[in-house]
Amino acid sequence: MPDVKEFETANRPTWCPGCGNFGMWQALKQAYQEVGWSFEELAVVWGIGCHGNGADFTRCQGFHALHGRALPVATGLALSNPDLHVVVEMGDGDGYGIGLGHFAHACRRNIDVTVIVHDNQIYGLTTGQASPTTEQFMKTISTPDGVLEEPVNTLGLAIAEGATFVARGFSADPAHLTALMVAAMRHRGFAVVDVFQPCVTWNKLNTATWFRDRVYKVDETGHDPYDKNAAFALSLSTYHDLSCSPDECRLPIGVIYQEEGRATYGDGLPQLTGPLWRQALRPRDVSAAMGRLG
Amino acid sequence: MPTDPRPASRPDLQIKIGGAAGFGIKAAGQTLARCFVQGGLHTFDLTEYPSLIRGGHNAYQVRVSPEPVVSHVLAIDILVALNQETIDLHHTELVDGGALVFDPKTAKLDGLPDQARVCAVPVPFDDIVKEAGGLPIMRNVAALGAVLGLAHYPLSYLTDSLRAQFAKKPPEVAEQNVAVATKGYEHGSSTTCAFPFRLDPLPDPPRAVLADGNEAVGLGALAAGIGMYCAYPMTPASSLLHFMAAHDREYGVVVKHTEDEIAAMNMVIGAAFGGARAMCATAGGGFSLMVEAFGLAGISESAVVVGVFTRAGPATGLPTWTEQSDLRFVLHAAQGEFPRVVLAPGDTTEAFELTWMAFNLADQLQTPVVLLGDTYLCDNRRSAPPFDLAAVTIDRGKLVADGDIRTHPEALGADGAYLRYKVGGDGVSVRALPGVTGATQVVNSYEHDEYGFGAQGEIASVRNAQNEKRMGKLELARTLVPPPKYYGASPDTADVSVIVFGTTKQPALQAIEWLERDGARVALMQIVTMWPFPTGEVAAFLDGTKRSLVIEGNFTGQLEGLIRQECLIAPRDHLRRWDGRPFNPEQIYDKLLEVSRRA
Repeated sequence: MPDVKEFETANRPTWCPGCGNFGMWQALKQAYQEVGWSFEELAVVWGIGCHGNGADFTRCQGFHALHGRALPVATGLALSNPDLHVVVEMGDGDGYGIGLGHFAHACRRNIDVTVIVHDNQIYGLTTGQASPTTEQFMKTISTPDGVLEEPVNTLGLAIAEGATFVARGFSADPAHLTALMVAAMRHRGFAVVDVFQPCVTWNKLNTATWFRDRVYKVDETGHDPYDKNAAFALSLSTYHDLSCSPDECRLPIGVIYQEEGRATYGDGLPQLTGPLWRQALRPRDVSAAMGRLG
Repeated sequence: MPTDPRPASRPDLQIKIGGAAGFGIKAAGQTLARCFVQGGLHTFDLTEYPSLIRGGHNAYQVRVSPEPVVSHVLAIDILVALNQETIDLHHTELVDGGALVFDPKTAKLDGLPDQARVCAVPVPFDDIVKEAGGLPIMRNVAALGAVLGLAHYPLSYLTDSLRAQFAKKPPEVAEQNVAVATKGYEHGSSTTCAFPFRLDPLPDPPRAVLADGNEAVGLGALAAGIGMYCAYPMTPASSLLHFMAAHDREYGVVVKHTEDEIAAMNMVIGAAFGGARAMCATAGGGFSLMVEAFGLAGISESAVVVGVFTRAGPATGLPTWTEQSDLRFVLHAAQGEFPRVVLAPGDTTEAFELTWMAFNLADQLQTPVVLLGDTYLCDNRRSAPPFDLAAVTIDRGKLVADGDIRTHPEALGADGAYLRYKVGGDGVSVRALPGVTGATQVVNSYEHDEYGFGAQGEIASVRNAQNEKRMGKLELARTLVPPPKYYGASPDTADVSVIVFGTTKQPALQAIEWLERDGARVALMQIVTMWPFPTGEVAAFLDGTKRSLVIEGNFTGQLEGLIRQECLIAPRDHLRRWDGRPFNPEQIYDKLLEVSRRA
């Protein structure tokens, strides 16, 4: 089994000093080692954004896809070879903005893919515009008068649309985050880990300190992640306003929702018995189908 | 009415059935064609329908002949009117002496200015159905009986077909239909006007495949070992999704109706990364949504096949009508530059062949291959010799699907690591699938180095090396793609030289057959591979021609412009249409006859 260091390439990370991506990257490499998949089994798909530069730093069978389109690429990849374990890394603008439709549908189909969302509530790589998870009324370069929309309720959306493992982590708590990632990867079905990840350059509101003052671990409060209503209620509790004090804004982290035993998309495909490249070893005899035409 | 160049005494007939959507017009037409093909005759169908499920006018025509049929024609020999609108819209298409089959209860000939020239065949569809205790939808069965009766074609083909069609229903359903067909047949065969044509089945009918273009593409994809097909419904590509979905478990294919076309194209790229032979198909509108990912397939060097089946555009356009207006679109789709192959099948047989070939080209070149079709191809059934299944080959190019990449030294760099985008040779690098030992890599939408890392892609020399490697694959493509096809006279001796692409070949072939008979020599070139463009062949074809002409279904002369651009030769004349209808051979005949007689 590869160890943490083996998941690194010769390229050194180019994220800003203090970026939450470092903590996520450490946690993810640790999680890969703990899950113990071989290099042949693991495949990773990235969207476009600061998180996506991880494609250069992470040694694996990787696909650095288009902005917002990591999930459909990962879906095609996972269905093309059921022997692979597919992990997606995407950003909040990437996955909840331009790619939101794919996210909702991926949840519905409960495909056996693990999604790690780098949720820094801002567009980093394009220099600080509002993202779908930016706090309402926050001023950004694209919203100088403040964001008028409510942020996407990412956890609630995932639960409502049928994801069977929904968790939230915090990049500055790597041990806790690693455990969430491992649980998500071991989960059979569509697993989402949305990670609070401070952007030190563009998001001056949701800083590491700001999060540290507000997050709490749901497993310490007796939350039952198998209770869908409780999970949904918890997803609503993440809303807060810009001026709220740490006492008023409590942000749950941990496994919010979990469900075992639901059929995955692949379970509905009895024809999917192995890698699909084996279907093209020789021409198929389609005389039966041709004979039925007309 | 244009000229009808068909011989007055001829073995072939064209029958048109019209009525409101929901009358079972298409089902009736397809049953009719099936009856003829089972009797060894050849057919070519043309369906016309609005983008509606109920209401609106539908028409379905079947051309039938003891000889192979290459195209529909404009002229109708039998018009079956299930309502008044059919008569009003189509009576002028009837030839002199042609039969007009109608129910006097629901349609009248009173308003026709030229009643005397048609053979009126009143058949009480309604009464026949009521007598048999059947449902109103069965009026189309009475009409089919009448058509076969008129042509004195054995009724048994229809009754056998009905019994097979309703085999799973209670037996009285089939027998009601048979009774209705028989009554219709009696009316048709005992008509009092002189209908001069008859159709006879062949004693020993050869095997034939009665398929539309989408079925042919689907069969070609299945034969080629497709592993994943993704699509979002859009006319005229939807029936390919239906065909693939109907065969998924039988042939081990994953078929995904995705949330949108963006997902379809990206999913196909992901499946191709995993090693599946993967395809998506749509109309021009859906391809508009796929375009960014089409470019991703180019830069990531993904082996994918994309069907782009043109309907009259832009935007929603004419959803159920044909056009050839997406040629320039597929040639230029997506930002930046990357190699692509565009193949344009001209008929169902070519649709089958070019589809399985497209999968080989995609794998050999590791780049997207477009199948450029249109509504005229997708929707219309044609009887053809069975597709040549034995000719299908699978060539996956430089693919390593399992084992250890380190046993493939040509795929490794100086440091012994696998290079997904290794530069050199013909520009195609060894492609190791996920699962192959040592095949860590980054397949990348960013410009990248040989490992696939984006960080180094911005170095000018790296960018140049990768871009030149990719674009260089076009030279390899030139050696692999199917060449143009030539029909009719040699261009040296021809009165007129004609260039077409795609399905316009079909009416053009019919027209030049008539023209040859009438003493005009026509050379026809069908460009099959639209890109890389067969510059040398087209230039040679046009070199020294007396009169040259491009026929294409668009306003702006997209192929004609491409010929000018690539060959620096200007074809002299053109014939274009963009009204949603395919060219008919009569129109091409008239135009070519006129051009061939010019000084």
